[in-house]
Amino acid sequence: MRWLVVALIFLASGCGGGKATVSASSTSLAQSRLSQAETRAAGFAKSGDYQNAARQYGEALRIATTLENADAIAGNAINLSVVQQWLGRDADARAALDAVLADPHTAFSERRKVQAELRRAIVELSGGNIGAAVIWAGQAQSRCAATSCEYAAAILNVRAQIELDSGRAAEAAQLASGAAERSRSSGNQAETANALRTLGRTRHAQGQSAAALEPLKAALEIDREIGDPRKILADLADLSRIADAAGNAAAAKDYRERGLAVSRAMNGGRGAPEASLTR
Amino acid sequence: MSIALPAGRFAGIVAKVNAFLLIAFILVAAFLGLVAYKQGWFVHQSPVHFVTVNALGINKGMPVKLHGFTIGSVNDMELAPGGVDVRLVIGSEYLGRIPQDSLARHAREAGVIGASVIDIVPGKSQVAIAEGAQLSFEPARGINEIIDEFRRQAIPAFNEVKAAMTQVGRSGEDVTQILENLRKEVAQLPATHRAIRQLVLEASHATADLSQQAGATLKAVEKVAATVAQTIPAVSEKLVGSIESIDAAAVQLKKTGEEAQLTLRSARPLMEHSEVAAREAGDVLGAAKRVWPLSDSFKETSDGMLPIDSFEAEGKGRSR
Repeated sequence: MRWLVVALIFLASGCGGGKATVSASSTSLAQSRLSQAETRAAGFAKSGDYQNAARQYGEALRIATTLENADAIAGNAINLSVVQQWLGRDADARAALDAVLADPHTAFSERRKVQAELRRAIVELSGGNIGAAVIWAGQAQSRCAATSCEYAAAILNVRAQIELDSGRAAEAAQLASGAAERSRSSGNQAETANALRTLGRTRHAQGQSAAALEPLKAALEIDREIGDPRKILADLADLSRIADAAGNAAAAKDYRERGLAVSRAMNGGRGAPEASLTR
Repeated sequence: MSIALPAGRFAGIVAKVNAFLLIAFILVAAFLGLVAYKQGWFVHQSPVHFVTVNALGINKGMPVKLHGFTIGSVNDMELAPGGVDVRLVIGSEYLGRIPQDSLARHAREAGVIGASVIDIVPGKSQVAIAEGAQLSFEPARGINEIIDEFRRQAIPAFNEVKAAMTQVGRSGEDVTQILENLRKEVAQLPATHRAIRQLVLEASHATADLSQQAGATLKAVEKVAATVAQTIPAVSEKLVGSIESIDAAAVQLKKTGEEAQLTLRSARPLMEHSEVAAREAGDVLGAAKRVWPLSDSFKETSDGMLPIDSFEAEGKGRSR
């Protein structure tokens, strides 16, 4: 720890001279506008104003393109695709990723390429394009394996969902177990919960409804800890459905009512879309 | 009418005139002798000649030089079969220094510019040139010939420079990329600087707080230790003494317990402060992690990116 403090003080003293002033003046206006747009976009995204967040990420992407800043182009394109997907605009989410995936001239880092390919797989799978999702997830996995990236668990989760949606529950269960292990070892709680949720669904698909409840309950606990209402709602909906299939009507009813409460609260008390709770 | 002259006025005038004329003659003769000497009329000179197809630039009286030293001059020129016969007169004493295979060439004293001269380039023969012999002649090079020769010598050098520039041109993209990356890194320096200054400032504050709180804790612990140290001897004495003293010791122990409780209560805010300080330090470190060059030291994915979550892959109907 001491060496770190010493190194930081040394760095601070090194940066505190006249050179820093020169550097400050060398920061271009466009660079400042890029930083401002990114900051505003992150603020809007955090506050749930996805319309403005998308607008600001688009602006940041435009400025980054004028600066030929490969990392900023990729980062803002990926963020834009996330926000567009949250807004339900899958086509725009896909188009945003073209800034990285369809540009052979810009030298994006391998990490950015993995992120973009994984995002593309997610968008395609979300839209039901399983074939495209398989291709993009495969590309992301190949690149990730070559660079030992931190998205291995997320990629496995996407592949597990692909297998599950393709009706291959056994393969999906295997991939989900692998994703759970990976995410636990890397401390990624969100992907651990996703893996457990998928595992519960695969067991249900294999006719093991009672065994499916355990990973789903674990996923619910993690999602409550993380504090993501969409995931909590998804867990409650799955638990309700699977408890019902397991013959535990009371538990199913309890989960359904909890899910409805969450859903109503998410929609500002205006009454919830109950489709997810009744599937 | 006649004018009478004083007697003896012109006596000896003839002798005086003759003396004057003699002196004048001697002076004129000395002057002419001096001029003749200066012109080399008293030096024995030997003629040599050469024939040139073109006598442009060669004039009568032009110096003839050997090793840059004037040894004669151009005496005469006349048309001859095959060109112009140019006659030189060279001091006879210098003939022995000019080998037979020497050649004459038309040159300028300072390269391209300067006075024209006939330069004798000595050959390698052991036999000296004879009087009246003919020399070979090398005409002067014109500016075009000089430029041509320069071109001949310079073209290979230019080709090498051109190849080198092409090489530099090919590697220009790499240099541009390097400069671009360098520019980006330099552009991030102010942010790094600010973040690190902030980090150091907050770290110093946190350290000061911690040291103050640690000091307070230490004092409290010392207080407890002192109390215990005072209490234990009293208890032991009273245990040995009597049952009354056991009661007194119990009272004393109760008091000590209360003090310990107070100490723990006072330590609780300290713990809370420590937690806040730790959280703040965590925030500062978080900021530092996002700033180059520290960002490379921390393997964290939160670089202003929204989460890439596989949950988003679930169909809309299923999850939302």
